[in-house]
Amino acid sequence: MTTVTCQELPIAAYVDGELSPAEERTLERHMEGCPTCRALVADLRTVRAAAFTLDRLEPPADLLARIQARVAAEPRASARLLAWPNTRGAWGVWLAAAAALLVTTSIGLAPLLGPAEMPATGLAPAADQASLVDSVQADLQAAEQHYDRAIQGLERIARSDSAELDPQIAAVLQKNLQVVDQAIDESRAALKTQPASSTAQEGLFEAMRTKVALLQQTVELINEMRKGNQAEAGRLMQDLSR
Amino acid sequence: MSSSKPSGEVRSADLDLAGRIRSGEGAAFETLYQQHAGRLYNLASRMSAGASDAEDLLQDIFLLAYRKVGSYRGESSLGTWLYRLAMNHCLDVLRNRQTRMGQLTDSMDEPEAAPVAAPGPALSAVSRIDLERAIAALPPACRAAFLLHDVEGFGHQEVADILGVSEGTSKSQVHKARLRIRAQLGARELKAERV
Repeated sequence: MTTVTCQELPIAAYVDGELSPAEERTLERHMEGCPTCRALVADLRTVRAAAFTLDRLEPPADLLARIQARVAAEPRASARLLAWPNTRGAWGVWLAAAAALLVTTSIGLAPLLGPAEMPATGLAPAADQASLVDSVQADLQAAEQHYDRAIQGLERIARSDSAELDPQIAAVLQKNLQVVDQAIDESRAALKTQPASSTAQEGLFEAMRTKVALLQQTVELINEMRKGNQAEAGRLMQDLSR
Repeated sequence: MSSSKPSGEVRSADLDLAGRIRSGEGAAFETLYQQHAGRLYNLASRMSAGASDAEDLLQDIFLLAYRKVGSYRGESSLGTWLYRLAMNHCLDVLRNRQTRMGQLTDSMDEPEAAPVAAPGPALSAVSRIDLERAIAALPPACRAAFLLHDVEGFGHQEVADILGVSEGTSKSQVHKARLRIRAQLGARELKAERV
């Protein structure tokens, strides 16, 4: 017969009734000759039983009202789904980013966009073409600076307080911006090799319009989040995710 | 106590309740409070060993729940999610307090070796006051596991889910707590006999 030492016995499992009948029998056989283990098992059972019958305490009757008062002072829980900025610093960064985006969309790119400003289809006179290309490049540089500021603003938000900015939103925005930036780079490269091509021009403008639309949606999202309009913010989020 | 992995029906009801709380429905928040406040108050009270602390803790717990309910995705029951949040908060508060007082804190994931079962006289009837004192003297993580399992009646798997540890660690912590309580109560009985 194998000798079992006290240390090897699964006392805790025995007290909790988790042993198989065979394991229980082994332990009980040991306890028949071991008063120390017998006393230990009895005591652990006593402790367990006493713990289960401890007095049940009741929270004060007015505690719910006190909690509700604190909850009422909170922004709505739904707004927090979108990582609502609730500090002055975070709001400052959000608004700075929004302002930068608005400048980009309303000033930096306005001359380039919209049918009225689009060059006529077909080949333009050479002097006008050169002028247009120079103008486009100058505007692109200005616009890029605005974009950079806007993107840096959003990145600052992500870094400033990760608990306040939903990382998924920031990641979606960054990914979308990267995709659009790549399209702009490719369009610009095509325009460089074929400056007079209306197709290349249209490709560049299309990419720019996409980026403007993306940034405008971002500004709208910020505004809807600020107003606590969860439904509209959710719709914009879906659009941005596409 | 039911399993912490919710069935489809429970998950749906929990997600619905969480959604209503998120949308600012006061009655839904009150439902959550009525379902869990009693048990959480007992836990908070015994974790903090003080009634006024327990009230503050319970307020903080429900305020945290309101703030974070948007993160509930139904992976566990709403109850398990709430108890996890509550125990984390209680342990944080206790550990911060102990750190300020320069005391050592215990670790949940690396349990120290269980105290050796010392021979001694079997315990006579356990006084509730003595038992409460012995529980209050337990290290925080050990106390949390003991309260959840032996006092509140959660299963080891649920305790593990709530405390973010393995089921084996839950068992080990509860056993360690019982041994410590036994030692405390035994020492108190010996002292009383000598007087």
